[in-house]
Amino acid sequence: MATKSFNAFEMAQAQFDQTAKQLGLDQATCELLRQPLREYSFAIPVRMDNGTTQVFRGFRVQHNDARGPGKGGIRFHPMETLDTVRALSMWMTWKCSVVDIPLGGSKGGVICDPHNLSGREQEQICRGWVRQLAQDIGPDRDVPAPDVMTNAQHMLWMLDEYETIRGARFPGLITGKPVGMGGSLGRTEATGYGVVFTVREALREMNIKPADTIASVQGFGNVAQYAIQLYTQLGGKVIAISYWDQKEQTPRTLRKKDGIDLGALLQITDRFGGVDKDKATDLGYEVLPGEAWIEQEVDILFPSAMENQITASNVNKISKRVKIIAEGANGPTTPDADIEIHKRGIFMLPDLLANAGGVTCSYFEQVQSNINYFWEKDEVLGKLDTKMTSAYLRVSELARKKKLYMRDAAYTIAVDRVAKACRDRGWV
Amino acid sequence: MEPEIFRFHFYFLCHMKLTPFTHTHEQILDLIPEYSRDIGFHRTPITRIGSGEIGGKAHGLLAARALIDRLDLAGELEGVSVSIPRMVVLTTEVFDLFMERNELQELVKSETSDVRIADAFQRGDFPTECVGDLMTLAQSLTTPIAVRSSSRLEDALYRPFAGVYGTKMVPNNQFSPSERFMRLLEAIKYVYASTYFREARIYRQNCTDDTTDEKMAVILQEVVGKRHGKRFYPEVSGVARCFNFYAMNWVRPEDGVIDLALGLGKTVVDGEAAWTYSPHLPHVGPPFNTISDMLKHSQVAFWAVNMEKPTVYDPVNEAEYLIRCELPDAEADGSLKFLASTFDAESGRIRSGISTRGPRLLNFTPILTHDRVPLNQLLKLLLKECETALGSPVEIEFAMSLDLEDGLPASFGFLQVRPIVIDSVNVEFGDEDFEATNVLLASDNALGNGIIDTIEDIILVRRDLFDWKHTPAIANEIEYLNARLIRENRNSILVGYGRWGTTDEWRGIPVHVGQISSARVIVEATLPGMVVSPSQGSHFFHNLTSFRVFYFSMPHENSLRDIAWDVLDACDVIEETNFVLLLRARSPFKTMVDGKTRRGIILYE
Repeated sequence: MATKSFNAFEMAQAQFDQTAKQLGLDQATCELLRQPLREYSFAIPVRMDNGTTQVFRGFRVQHNDARGPGKGGIRFHPMETLDTVRALSMWMTWKCSVVDIPLGGSKGGVICDPHNLSGREQEQICRGWVRQLAQDIGPDRDVPAPDVMTNAQHMLWMLDEYETIRGARFPGLITGKPVGMGGSLGRTEATGYGVVFTVREALREMNIKPADTIASVQGFGNVAQYAIQLYTQLGGKVIAISYWDQKEQTPRTLRKKDGIDLGALLQITDRFGGVDKDKATDLGYEVLPGEAWIEQEVDILFPSAMENQITASNVNKISKRVKIIAEGANGPTTPDADIEIHKRGIFMLPDLLANAGGVTCSYFEQVQSNINYFWEKDEVLGKLDTKMTSAYLRVSELARKKKLYMRDAAYTIAVDRVAKACRDRGWV
Repeated sequence: MEPEIFRFHFYFLCHMKLTPFTHTHEQILDLIPEYSRDIGFHRTPITRIGSGEIGGKAHGLLAARALIDRLDLAGELEGVSVSIPRMVVLTTEVFDLFMERNELQELVKSETSDVRIADAFQRGDFPTECVGDLMTLAQSLTTPIAVRSSSRLEDALYRPFAGVYGTKMVPNNQFSPSERFMRLLEAIKYVYASTYFREARIYRQNCTDDTTDEKMAVILQEVVGKRHGKRFYPEVSGVARCFNFYAMNWVRPEDGVIDLALGLGKTVVDGEAAWTYSPHLPHVGPPFNTISDMLKHSQVAFWAVNMEKPTVYDPVNEAEYLIRCELPDAEADGSLKFLASTFDAESGRIRSGISTRGPRLLNFTPILTHDRVPLNQLLKLLLKECETALGSPVEIEFAMSLDLEDGLPASFGFLQVRPIVIDSVNVEFGDEDFEATNVLLASDNALGNGIIDTIEDIILVRRDLFDWKHTPAIANEIEYLNARLIRENRNSILVGYGRWGTTDEWRGIPVHVGQISSARVIVEATLPGMVVSPSQGSHFFHNLTSFRVFYFSMPHENSLRDIAWDVLDACDVIEETNFVLLLRARSPFKTMVDGKTRRGIILYE
């Protein structure tokens, strides 16, 4: 989560300003895109289990929907701020745009801590959130999805409330539903696989075989696990992963120089991605400090845990051998670290491109839900691969032609597409 | 890779001057670039996905490409462009990943029905590493694709698996690329599943030193031909062989034989009616007794890829996207112009071409006699070059598409080359042997070469109950008795009527090789009043003879010695089913076949 000194929205606006300048966008377009189109801030009163009533604060920010209905998750977090939601909705606009899916950017949230709420209370929050927004979301307006501390169950409560209000079935309202209840096959794997699809293409351009590379991964959650799976299937070797040790409240890195065994590690991993340290030691893993993942002598770094992880203070610890950083997480690299990475010539696969597999598959889920016909997993993953590969090639080509840093190239493409859509609609 | 197969591949490639003996698996893979989405299917003739083995068929095509590159065909054969149809090979690595990740190994080890196997394979997820490549392939193509097996054992010397594993054609013309992609995947999964179909499993049991470790590569190859409305097919397809197992009259076995058909090669491969001739005598057709016989028994139907939506969605049906068409359909398409002749009822003669009205005869006269396309010249050259390159007689599969305006230029697709096994044991017997009193039967149209004197068992189709309508049931009963002999580790002589191994149940008994795996001698007898043209089942007979199975053709009252039915009647009946007897003699029969004279004899004691 954002720290007090860190304002995500200001950072997002700064990134946009830089890109807008490069693109030479006119003032009206800049003003339009620097701010969300619409913001909803509302109260959600909930009768608690103890008989009292508590009022929660909910948000939905629709940054831009020029290219299609808004798309973005709903976060339940006690430290949620409107500015965070604004920033995230803007990033969703760029992410959908860079992979060229016909969706805009949105984000939502509720200031609450689900750890302290019963299931019934969480359900009431979900239903209350939808009641406040039922006229402003929908399959053709704004499509929510799970995010921090929300899951498929929350999505189903929200969907049910929406359908009750509208008096019909609208499975395309929301994504992240369970398979069999309107969810898409392949969604679980999508983000991690998407990261590796872009890595594969980057290696291909560098004329390096995946089998000749080794990697270190920060995180061991869903994204990291599936990224490791596909990367090793392509022949790569992961020698280190990091995770959050919930018991000791500290991050740790596990290392095995001849390559980790994903299957064996998953056997000793809890559902939050925490690994049993003692059992890992028994399996021959070295237990290192949490930051050690970044110092490994590897070809590829996969920061796939959280934001602000590669910073000015640790960027110099990155080995000279590293050729690629693939951002599985959102915002893992700070702007000042970015400058150093660019200077060192490390190939950056920026978050808005590398981890866009998740939203791409959510788009597939929405399409399937809207037509109420669900694809085979092969089809979902085949489309995901081609979509991600195509997006990578566009960004990489622009970066090469204009000699841009990959993040800048990705932003340039994304912002340019959205700006064009706004112009084409006659908004500016 | 199993050593013998490995040797074969190197032998094959070396003789094609493709690679020296010292080349490794990696070096062979280096000859085939990886499939590239940027370059796609159109600009690179042969590419691969995965780094496993490419299988026998792909090896053969690789070698054939080297041969074609080496031959300067353009100068000699004006108007014919010879090529290997563009293809992508999914190597055995992809197959291994598919099997492993979908945990199919346990299923295929059990005695599971073909339908259940096919269904389980269809439900399997394809390896993620490959789906993107296949998706782009489907996006970039809108013409039919043949999904062909290319297993490790297939087409290897002494290990012919031709026709045993599945081949599926997909029209690939759906508007949606996703639809094309899914149909392509279904076809690949079907071919994978066919590795473990009953026929293939039984068949592999004949390879005594390698019964389990089969791996399947798959070739995705563009189909030669062109679209005519709802049909897509080549005007000509066929199989050419250096050696004629059925050489008759003045044609020598070593002159070779060519089967030509209209439409997809399924007609020839399945042993349906085709036009058979010797490349040395292209104007002489099959030995029909009368023009009426010729019209009746020549090709009247053909196979094409169905470019319309199939009536039934059935991904586990090999022929899901095939359509059987009649000659008038081809005539309406303009395809008969250079292929057919016409029966003139007034003169009772066959006239070349289709300019007059009358029944059409698919005898390829404009091509073979009038040389409108130098097809025969080309096939002779390819047979000679391939035989020289391989050091053994070969069989070539091909398809050709004609320009229907003037017949030229023709596009010739080289689809496969494989060696034919011919035994070299010297067996000689004189005319006096045929006069002996202990002759069970003798034929001057026998296949194989050598002596077998250990067989006591005979599987005999009962002649008193034989009827064409029972042939499917007879095939099942033969399979049942065959299984018993296999369990008891006994070999047999198989005696039946009509064409063995045909897919047309009204022309013979539709067995596949696996169902008669105990047979070391098979006899194709005829009964009074039965008219059966010589069997042409290419793959069936290629496989059969490669397993050293002796074959006797016994035209009724036209053999060296008719079957001594009384001798068979005197054998002990070991088991009896509705239409078939399992007989056992008190002492072994002695079977001798002289490959040079094609005469064979079976003696009893």
